[in-house]
This record gives sequence, structure tokens and C-alpha cells, in this order.
Amino acid sequence: MANITFPFPYPEHLGIMLPEILLAVLAMALLLWDLFVPKEKKGMIAWAAVASCVVTLIALLQLPAGDSLHTFYGYFVLDPFAAYAKVLMIAATVLAIFLSLDFMKDEQNVGEYYCLMLFALLGMMFMVSATNFVVMYLGLELMALCVYVLVAYQRDVLRSSEAGLKYFILGALSSGMLLYGLSFIYGVTTDFMFAGIGEALRHVEDGSRLAVLLGMLFIIAGLAFKVSVAPFHMWTPDTYEGAPTPVTAFMSVAPKVAGFVVFIRVLADAFPALQTEYTTVLSVLAVLTIGIGNVAAIAQRNIKRMLAYSTIGHVGFMLLGLIAATQEGYSGAMVYLTIYLFMNMGAFAIIVLMRRDGIQGELLDDFAGLARVRPGYALAMGLLLFSLAGIPFLAGFWAKFAVFAAAIHSGHIWLAVYAIVFSVVGCFYYLRVVKYMYFDKERVAFNFIENPVMQATVVVTSLAVVIFGLYPKPVMAMCSAAVSMF
Amino acid sequence: MIGLSDYLVVAACLFSLGVVGLFLNRKNVITILMCVELILLAVNINFVAFSHYMQDLGGQIFVFFVLTIAASEVAVGLAILVAYYRTRRSIEVEDMNSLQG
Repeated sequence: MANITFPFPYPEHLGIMLPEILLAVLAMALLLWDLFVPKEKKGMIAWAAVASCVVTLIALLQLPAGDSLHTFYGYFVLDPFAAYAKVLMIAATVLAIFLSLDFMKDEQNVGEYYCLMLFALLGMMFMVSATNFVVMYLGLELMALCVYVLVAYQRDVLRSSEAGLKYFILGALSSGMLLYGLSFIYGVTTDFMFAGIGEALRHVEDGSRLAVLLGMLFIIAGLAFKVSVAPFHMWTPDTYEGAPTPVTAFMSVAPKVAGFVVFIRVLADAFPALQTEYTTVLSVLAVLTIGIGNVAAIAQRNIKRMLAYSTIGHVGFMLLGLIAATQEGYSGAMVYLTIYLFMNMGAFAIIVLMRRDGIQGELLDDFAGLARVRPGYALAMGLLLFSLAGIPFLAGFWAKFAVFAAAIHSGHIWLAVYAIVFSVVGCFYYLRVVKYMYFDKERVAFNFIENPVMQATVVVTSLAVVIFGLYPKPVMAMCSAAVSMF
Repeated sequence: MIGLSDYLVVAACLFSLGVVGLFLNRKNVITILMCVELILLAVNINFVAFSHYMQDLGGQIFVFFVLTIAASEVAVGLAILVAYYRTRRSIEVEDMNSLQG
């Protein structure tokens, strides 16, 4: 690092960014190649996109992951936390591409769809590696712009473009709020780096305190929008319902991982001086989120909408880890995100497989009698739903256990009790679907999508839920290693 | 003499105007896009004012990033709006009601 004469980062420092650089180049090459692929062979693009993800993953895993490596003068960091989140997001992207294989093949220009997913992944990878608000904002927007388009991808389906439009409007508002808050923080600290802001906020004059508080509130509101925390969750049910189901699966998982990683970094690095204030704000948000998510889900007849509210509920549980603000809490949130990835991907995979004459099987009634028609799917869906409900010895139980334990150890006992009560309420609507599948007569006949890759996705995710449930140790150990620097 | 607080007040007014316009507007979606622009420009005024007042260039550089992204955001937003208009034949906010639980 000494005697820097050349005014650019050393090439070997660029190596730390190799996964992102490779992904960007591959995604752009894919976009170009897509022009020369005839319509009936667009499936190749999907597999090329999977290959790009694998290449990125290999590039990521060969980097030394033990400590924090910086490049671009400290604006970009690769630490175990970022590396772990990137692995999760790559896994989510690959699973979402698998789910899209048969679902999207009738759409026009489907090649671009896979490229957009790769660019969204790229944006998220920058987000989790950001050490300052500039890179974070750029990554966030790259992700958000791609996801807006993905949501609106079925251009001739009204619900899809309406969902895209609603998501776009509220997403743009949330970025505006994030930036407005950031402008005050910048005004007080003259810094964009998380660590620099954190240092400067430790000795703020009393006159600037109001500006700092206002800035922090707006930043929290902006980030809360992105991870759909109530009362900033209005876009979630509409967007989840209208978006093509594989996109719903993708955006219910990957952006949440990126959003939570950024949330943790911002709170732990930039606002440690305001811990009492942000704990209060987040506690209020968590109480609202857990309540609204779990209660509103009961009233839904559409399973995508129900899972949207269930996502909101789960996000509320994850917030407990951030409120705890300890290593244990952050690691709990990461455990939750990891397990949630598999549970949600699996549940959406089954919804994707139930497509019928261009209509997805997305009403709760459509699941009636599934156990008689397709016992395998019903079993997998049952496992995933039991896990989402947090029944012991499936993965979802350990996810909840990790965050609740962290909340109790950090003294938020009432919050934990409240969350436990509402997770029991949540059991009701998950188990209702199980009741439909096993105890009701079938009402509509389905043409299931018979695609071995998509069926394999279901098998993998439901196996993962069972295995993590029986051996939670490795996941927990990985997550606590990932957050060791806090 | 126009001081820092004057700029901040203008920006706060523009920001609130944008947010209020976004939620109260019942007419059409183009107005909403304009409100989003208003919010982002209010943020830019804030950044430039702070940057000049604190004698630090970082804020002004950040404004360029915000401007660029605002441009691409509007491009994406208008594209989605056109796709929506083609199927719905209307851009009234009140007509956006096909998604309700």
C-alpha cells in the first residue's frame, strides 16, 4: 500500500473485484449473444446465465475469504460477511433461473430476461460489498432498475405491468427518501464512508443532533422500503401477486439478503453512536411488521399474496436480529435469511409447477386435493410450509430460534415474546394450506409443468429444509463466522 | 445574504411537495413521475448546498451520480408505463386496480 505513485488502484487489488468484473462482462456478452440466438433456442441463454453464475461463484470462492480486503481506496470491501451474502445471492439467482426455464419460454425476447437477472445480481453484489453510501446507492439502483423491469416482464399481462408500475413508483420514492436522509448525514459529517460517518457522529455538536436524527430516520425508512418492513410494505402484496412467479421467488429472497446486509452495515458501522435511537425506531417497526404480516396473511385467498404477507412477517422476525445489535443478532439474521431462501424458493417452485393453460395455480383453492393428484408435491409443499411456520426440527424453527435467542440475550424479552405469539398466529394460515392439500377434494384439473430441472429444485429445497432442520450446526457456524468482524 | 438554511428550506419544500403530490395525486401517472423527479432534485439542492457550505467536493460529485440514475430511472419508469398503457388503455391512477386481495 505504501508509495502509491500511479493514480489508479493496483491491478492486483482489482482481483478482489474479480467476481463482479467477470459477471458484468459475461452478462454483457450474453446480451450480445442473445441477438444471434433463434427464438426456439433461447433456452441456451438460460443455461449460459447459470454458467455465468457458476463462474462468478468459483471466482468468489478462490479469493482469500478470511479477512477484510479493500480495493478502490477502501470503497469496496470483500470480507467474510460480503462473501457469504454473495454466495447466498448467487444461489438464489441460479434457483430463480431454474424456475424460469419452462415458465418464461413463451415470452418474447426471453434472453434479455436472464441478462436482467444477472445485472440485478451484479447490483446486489456491489451493495453488499459497499463501504460507503455512493457505492451502496449505485448497487441498489442497479438492482432495483433491473427488478422493476423483471416484474413488468409479461408485457401483455395487465397484472404484470401494473405490478411493475406500482413497484417502480414506491421504489423511486424510497430511493428519494434514502437520499434525502443521506444528504443530512453528509451535511453534518462531510463523509460518505460508513466508518467515517460512524466516527464523526460520535462527537456531534448539539445543534446538529436534529439533522442527524432526521437523516437517520429517512435512511432507515428508505432501507425499510426495500426489505418491505411495515408501514413501508404497501408495494409487497401487489408486486408479488402481479409479477411472473419466478420473479416473485427471486425478489422475495435475493434483494432481501442484499437489503439486510446493507441495513446491518449501515446500522453497525455508520450509526453506532445512535444505537438507543435506532433500536427504538426498529422496535416499533418490528412490532408493526410482525403484526401486519401475520394477521393480514390470514385474509388472503391468493397464495402469492399470502406468501407476500408471510414474507413481511418473516422480515419482522429478521429485524429482531438487528435490534439485538450484537454479533449473535446479526448472525441470527443471516441464519434466518439462509434458511428463508430455501423455504421460499421451494414454495414458489411448487406454485410455478402448477401452471394451468397459461394461468398459474395461485388461488388457495387450487391446492385442494393436491395430495391425491401429486402426493410428492403435496409432501414437499407440506414440509416447506411447516418449516415456514416454524414447527420444530425443520429448518424454519432454527431460524426463528436464532433470532429470538439473540433478542432475549440482548434484553428485548417482550419483543421476543410478542414475536413468538405472532409466529403461533402465523401457523394458522400455513397449516390451512396443508389442510386444503390433504383433506379437501380436488376442484380443478391441472397440467403440471413436467420439467426435471424444476422438479429437482423442489427436491433440493425441501431436502435442504429437512437437513438444516436436523443439523443446524453448520449453517449457524458459517453465519457466526461471517459476522465475526462486528 | 442567502445562507445554508434558506437552501435547506427550499429543498425541504420541494421534497414535501413531491411526496404529497405522489400520494394525493388521483389523476395520472405522469404526474407521479414528475413528483419523483422533484424529490430527487430537492435532494440534489441539499447536496450542493451542503457541499458548498462545508467546502467539500464529495457532495457535488454525488449529485452527478444521482442525476444519472434519475435519468435512467425515468427511462425505465416511462417504458413500464408505455407497456401498461398498451394493455390498459389508460394511465389514470384510479384505474390501477387489477391487483387487490
